[in-house]
Amino acid sequence: MRVTFLRYASVLATIAILLLGFVAYRLSATADDNLPHVHFNADDISPRQIEDLTSKSVPRDYALAWQTMEQSLSENRTGLLDGYFTGFAKQDLTQRVNTQARSGLRTHYTDRGHKVDAVFYSPSGDVMELRDHAQFDMQILDGGKVIYEEPVNEDYVVLMTPGADRWLVRQLQALNGKKP
Amino acid sequence: MRTIALALTVFAVTTLAASEIHPPAQVAAGNPVTIPTSGSGEATFYLIGPAVANKTKVQAGSDISVNGDQLQHGGRYVAILCASDGCSAANFFVTPAAANKLSFLVHPSRVPVGTSNGITALAIVHDNFQNLVLKPEAVTFKVMPKDGKEVSASRPSENGVAWVRLTAAKKSGPTKLGASIGHADEIRVVQQVAADACNLRIKASRAKRGFLIETDPVHDCSGNPVPDGTVVSFTASDSVGKTTVDVPIKRGVAKVEMPVDGRAKITVASGVVTGNELEVAE
Repeated sequence: MRVTFLRYASVLATIAILLLGFVAYRLSATADDNLPHVHFNADDISPRQIEDLTSKSVPRDYALAWQTMEQSLSENRTGLLDGYFTGFAKQDLTQRVNTQARSGLRTHYTDRGHKVDAVFYSPSGDVMELRDHAQFDMQILDGGKVIYEEPVNEDYVVLMTPGADRWLVRQLQALNGKKP
Repeated sequence: MRTIALALTVFAVTTLAASEIHPPAQVAAGNPVTIPTSGSGEATFYLIGPAVANKTKVQAGSDISVNGDQLQHGGRYVAILCASDGCSAANFFVTPAAANKLSFLVHPSRVPVGTSNGITALAIVHDNFQNLVLKPEAVTFKVMPKDGKEVSASRPSENGVAWVRLTAAKKSGPTKLGASIGHADEIRVVQQVAADACNLRIKASRAKRGFLIETDPVHDCSGNPVPDGTVVSFTASDSVGKTTVDVPIKRGVAKVEMPVDGRAKITVASGVVTGNELEVAE
């Protein structure tokens, strides 16, 4: 009796592990599929030269910041902003999501990629400034009804600062098409 | 023929009466705007911006007033007017107001005296609403030593950032660094600490068990006392072998009692600095 029970339990446990592994694999594949494409160029960065590791982590974390921002504005979930935003950027986006939720609005993005130039890296390595030429389609929905949709080509100025294990977006400000 | 004419008239009237919204192309942050609309009847006005997504009932054809507090964040805004005949929308930009705030970062907070270009002071220029001001602005950096004359220099911001590198003074102690623009005047304090020990010297005297080894007061090369807590390593090599003892500086000196077997050689070091060597015999 006991042996039979143990046999069934081990079979069920194996199936559960396989299922969980499959779900985890699918989830990670989905996250990668949705990650916005970031083309990063740090050729003109100054005064500090960018480190190899930083040149990989900044575009990765910036892409993840956009991904979580788009998800947060689509689902009206402020908690998603905790991962890759800090300071004024997080404060502003949280306010945006909260007012959106109060008004029954949502914003859907279809990200078409970012061309990012790193322009400033502070001597002590604690601030990096980027210029992003972003392309995306934006839809604003009131309830289920689309009230506005537009393909957007926008330039942003971005300040990123290092956190414990990643770079965080501290400021994300759309430019008026003029580069001072 | 009459039917076609009627249809054309209805189309023309409908087209003319279609609700439209005409915000200004751009507005400075924090300023209120009045947005003219056309059309008639009840409508819904949406204002979508970097930190706002509001929805209000309005009358199409009347002007819509938007308060300055809804337009504080620089960036792209969308004004949408939805009436019974559909929605019309227009984009406009909120540009940063005049530079009046600074984020001032000074690194590091403690620096050894005399370190060349060892301090970085960086100012990020904002307006009153924390928008990054990208237009070049003159930022004044100041150094205010505790017992010295204030020194200041102006640097133009580039892409919203101005920065300077400074060399630490020769004398240890706190020094204030400031940056100012408009009404913003930010101060940070940097502690200038003694650099590595210099001319480290020890002397030995007999003690109950072995020898008492003591340093002279430990100073850096500029004569600043090396702070208490800095570790000094004493090493004794005798017939038994080598013994190293790490001792923190207390009241300016480091001392330790070391047992010695026969003749011994005693050396001292602090960080990368080595001092004199003593030979003692029991």
